[in-house]
Amino acid sequence: MMVACACSYRAATGDGAKTFVILLAGVLRGLCAAGGGLRRALQAFEAQVLERAVALGLRRHLLSALSGPEDEADLEALLEAYLAGRLGPGERRLLARLCSEYCCRCAPAAAARPQALRLLGRRFAELHAAVAGLPVASSRVLPGLVLRRDFATYCPAGEELRAVLVTEPLRPALSAPSVEFVVDSEGQYRASLQWIARRTEALMKHLQNNNIKLLLSSVKQEEVVIYYAKIYGISVVECLSSEEMALICEITGVSPCAPFGDNRYGEIMETAVAAFCQPLLLGSKRCAHIGFTSVCTFQPHCLILCGPVDSVNEQHAAALQEAFIMLQQLFKTVEQREEYKAGDESQSEASGVCSWHFSATQMQLAIENNSCNSTQVSEGQSKAHKDEVETHIVDPDSQVCDNPVCVQTDLRIPSSPILHIKEFSGATEGDGSSQSVQKPHAECEHLLAIHKNYESDSLVDSQKHQNTAVLACNANAGTACESLDVGEDLEETSCNIVPLKHEESSVSTAQNYSGSLIKAGSVLPVGGYFEVLLHYYIQHYAKQFQQLELAVVSNIVADALLSIPKSLYGTTERNSFNKFYLGAINALRKNEPLPMNGKGLESVYCKYHLVISVLHCVTELLSIDLIIGVKRPLQKAEDYDSENDL
Amino acid sequence: MSRLEAKKPSLFITDPLTKDGVSQSLSLLNRILKSCYGPAGQLKQLHNGMGGYVCTTSQSSAILSRLPVSHPVLGVLMASVQNHISRFSDCGLFTAILCCSLIENFKSLNIASCTVIKISKHLLSLCMDYLKSETCGCRVAVDFSSVETLLCLVRSVLRSKPACMLNKTEVDHLATLILKAFLFTVPCHAESNAVLGKCVIVPMKSRRVMDSAVLPGLLIEVPEIQLAKPLTVKRTCSNMIKIALFCLSMSGDSFSPKEGTITVHHGISLEMSELNQLLNVGKQLVNDEVGLVVCQKVIHPSLKQYLKENGVIAVDRAGLSLMEPLSRMTGSKPIASIHDLSPGCYGSLKDVCVESFASKNFVHLIPNDTVVCSLVLCNRNETTWDELKRACETAEHVLQLTLKEPLALLGGGCTETHLASYIRYKSCSLSTSSFEDIGCSQTQYQLVADGFCRSLESVARSLNHDEGEILTDMVYGHCWFVPPGFPPASSWSDLVSKCGCGVNGNGENLKWRLLQGQFGSVVTQDCPKEPLVKAADFLTLDCYAAKCSGLQVALETANLISDLLYVIKDQN
Repeated sequence: MMVACACSYRAATGDGAKTFVILLAGVLRGLCAAGGGLRRALQAFEAQVLERAVALGLRRHLLSALSGPEDEADLEALLEAYLAGRLGPGERRLLARLCSEYCCRCAPAAAARPQALRLLGRRFAELHAAVAGLPVASSRVLPGLVLRRDFATYCPAGEELRAVLVTEPLRPALSAPSVEFVVDSEGQYRASLQWIARRTEALMKHLQNNNIKLLLSSVKQEEVVIYYAKIYGISVVECLSSEEMALICEITGVSPCAPFGDNRYGEIMETAVAAFCQPLLLGSKRCAHIGFTSVCTFQPHCLILCGPVDSVNEQHAAALQEAFIMLQQLFKTVEQREEYKAGDESQSEASGVCSWHFSATQMQLAIENNSCNSTQVSEGQSKAHKDEVETHIVDPDSQVCDNPVCVQTDLRIPSSPILHIKEFSGATEGDGSSQSVQKPHAECEHLLAIHKNYESDSLVDSQKHQNTAVLACNANAGTACESLDVGEDLEETSCNIVPLKHEESSVSTAQNYSGSLIKAGSVLPVGGYFEVLLHYYIQHYAKQFQQLELAVVSNIVADALLSIPKSLYGTTERNSFNKFYLGAINALRKNEPLPMNGKGLESVYCKYHLVISVLHCVTELLSIDLIIGVKRPLQKAEDYDSENDL
Repeated sequence: MSRLEAKKPSLFITDPLTKDGVSQSLSLLNRILKSCYGPAGQLKQLHNGMGGYVCTTSQSSAILSRLPVSHPVLGVLMASVQNHISRFSDCGLFTAILCCSLIENFKSLNIASCTVIKISKHLLSLCMDYLKSETCGCRVAVDFSSVETLLCLVRSVLRSKPACMLNKTEVDHLATLILKAFLFTVPCHAESNAVLGKCVIVPMKSRRVMDSAVLPGLLIEVPEIQLAKPLTVKRTCSNMIKIALFCLSMSGDSFSPKEGTITVHHGISLEMSELNQLLNVGKQLVNDEVGLVVCQKVIHPSLKQYLKENGVIAVDRAGLSLMEPLSRMTGSKPIASIHDLSPGCYGSLKDVCVESFASKNFVHLIPNDTVVCSLVLCNRNETTWDELKRACETAEHVLQLTLKEPLALLGGGCTETHLASYIRYKSCSLSTSSFEDIGCSQTQYQLVADGFCRSLESVARSLNHDEGEILTDMVYGHCWFVPPGFPPASSWSDLVSKCGCGVNGNGENLKWRLLQGQFGSVVTQDCPKEPLVKAADFLTLDCYAAKCSGLQVALETANLISDLLYVIKDQN
């Protein structure tokens, strides 16, 4: 379960799996030493101490990246620090420079960058090409897209050209599956073949008349099609993957056309414009290099990665793709509620914390609650639940005027529950669960998603521990509560949440938001500054609270945070961590600026998200009191039923 | 039924380079490759104990693709060199030997691999900057207006492949042929993005090397043609020969529904229908005054007969590989339909004749534009022919790379020793701030630089396979070979006459020193000079692009391998 949590965290932010484990180990060690019963205090800690420490303490020290004219240098510093954890010391500077150049060329305007980064993170596999056998220094950025297959036929074209996408064979077939073609006479047979050839030729002529110079096909076309294309001066690239087709559609805004449609002789509307189209020799492979004109803010560029062996290129590509995901996080904000009502330590507090991540958890638990009494799920519940989603969409929008960069983040909020649920499903059933949550109207779909979570979790577990299925998530969510001896725990968890009566109160608390806890683009230098700062402020603010438990938890988390810089400095010299720690703490006490010397930067959002995720993971772990090994793999028969109901 | 097998645990190796097995196989690989290097390299015979084909070679491309390796570390090294070879064809052994030597030298330093990598990257950037600069003393500009330097390049490639078993006259003959073939493929009318033509190698085994020849155009083997009859071809009014190129089967059995079914009524023959259509095509070809029909696949005998009767030469089974050069050379578009022939598809030829080499008969297509040519390559037996073919392809690739970047590097070990001298000189004269930038001490830098130079020099040393000494001079930093059998007391200036690449003669007092192995004392070095004359006739030259890239790849791979801490291998 810990591995699954760490992986899901990494999938969301592209970074920090190692830090996750170190911090988790630190916190757990501390909690074990302190004894049990601190689970509830953990949640209180997160709401009261942590947020306060960040809001009142940490926020002062944050630097802002990507706002000034030197954003390319900032980007490079961020990337270099990120890649330092991924790549050998020889290549990281070069790749960081290349990657930041790539980002800036893909999105020349700073405002377009978050969107471009999202596209890069998603479609990087199609946006880069790898060449083995060349030194890394030969890597470069090329304008346009490189499709990794040769032209079936290439006809040199002038400057600007038009292209169409097709997804079906252009030569009509004599017969189709389950269609019988009856030959009555030789003449009829010959005429049919003649007609097919003529039809193919007419189609190509039609394309030529529409001034189309490039045909992109997702399927292999017949020789005849290639032949006529050559005659009519049309270049053809075939066998494009569905991902490549989707990328081209996304960039150019066109959709594949069906040339056999009714408007055979009409004008072809769905055409993409390309500035150039030429063969490109990558290593020993010939590729099609096409300079599509973009209709969105993303300017298509292709990254050519060179390396001595394929596996090096793969490693570099994977690191860069995750770097793009990490950079996306940079543009996110963490929301904050200004006032905590003193003494409001009951359930509403837990659900009232307004960082989107937490509300996502809350919502998920809410769904789980539904599933507990799934026998009589009322329509109202699901509706209320949906309302909650909507309020979360609307709330942050009210502050858009304060912080224009927020827009991007806010738009993502509705999808956060999806993310979260996805995390639980451990990516094995990612498609199914996200699909089901995208349509939050049908109650049973939620159930399905959650059942799937269980299923995949137990799957993962049973793979890892062979026959010992860990009922971790089940216990927490409580499906198995009736039969197992974890009823108490469950009640505690669910009463901490009170899922459904909060639609109004969450609207009202929403008005209390002012500004964001962590602004978009906040960074800190690398080298443990975030941890030391947070350590200092947690201890500082924990003193203001009276409860013993809270103070204990605060101390545990604060000390665990220090384990990260400790292991960071541990590899170099013995004393360097102590030196660094004392220097930083002294500076903080005197209210001086921190002695910062590193060049690299890291995203505060990611770091904060990391701490929160670890706390959630710990809470979850602590909710388990019994692990029951079963011999047979757990089966979820009712899954199939609910699927059929859809 | 599939068999269930218990899962094996993954192989887990900590710190692979310190393990005995790995370093032993690494040094074995290094010794194998070193012994192959250069014109005097020793041959390797690769064969399977079960019998079958035997490969005698000294080329890295042949050895590395056939040598089995068990350890993943060596796998990375070999894959890296093989990728380099597939990009550049040349300098594979250089890259491999340098990489092995770098790994061994860096490992013996006892400095943290992270620091070594940073320093070696810096050293590499010094090398690359120097090689790219105008003042570089070990590179030669290639002048395309004369063939001399180009011939030197080709000769160096051929001479470094001893398994081809060529004598000096044969090397000269083949070098001229290869250069001639290459010059054919360069288009006469230079455009902004001109594409080189193609040289097709025609195999002719068990013949003398001196029988090899270059012909413009293409040779297609036709067993059934009679030599006695002179070939008469129909010509168009402009005295050209019209050619039609088909890329589909003309055998008359081409119908095959991909999906679904075709029901044929009794008494109807689709084959007849197809054949009639083929004969229609034949009729149209005759009407269009086509003189030659070439088909990639098979032509139906009836159609062939019909064409022959009408004075059209028909050649079938040309094969896919010839289609592109054929289409390029004749300007014709391969026809993929037998229903509709567009007159724009035809191409033209200057002449067609029959040639015969050994016992084989060929139709020789002579184009107007000679961007495509055929190299009839002969050698005594199968093994030497295979080796020679690889050598010719390498030479052609080297020429293409040189055309792109008209530079060459001095061969015979001189570039390696010269670079080493330059790095020794440079590493002594660095400012303290650059050490801070790298994050190392001056001593560390000196140690790594020394290891780097020794690795470069060990590549030069491996050119020598007998007991003789190898020297380098203190003025130009070139490499000199002392023939074996002389007492160590005798004066070196009496023993050496020319340096490895042939640029410098033994004219002035050059202050030689021995190129030693691991235990060389730290050498103080002045900046090596550029030789005064660089236009001797018989220089040994190496491909610039291939060697530069090989140097970079070798260092990057060595860094990659010396940075490995764990190897985890799934054994299932």
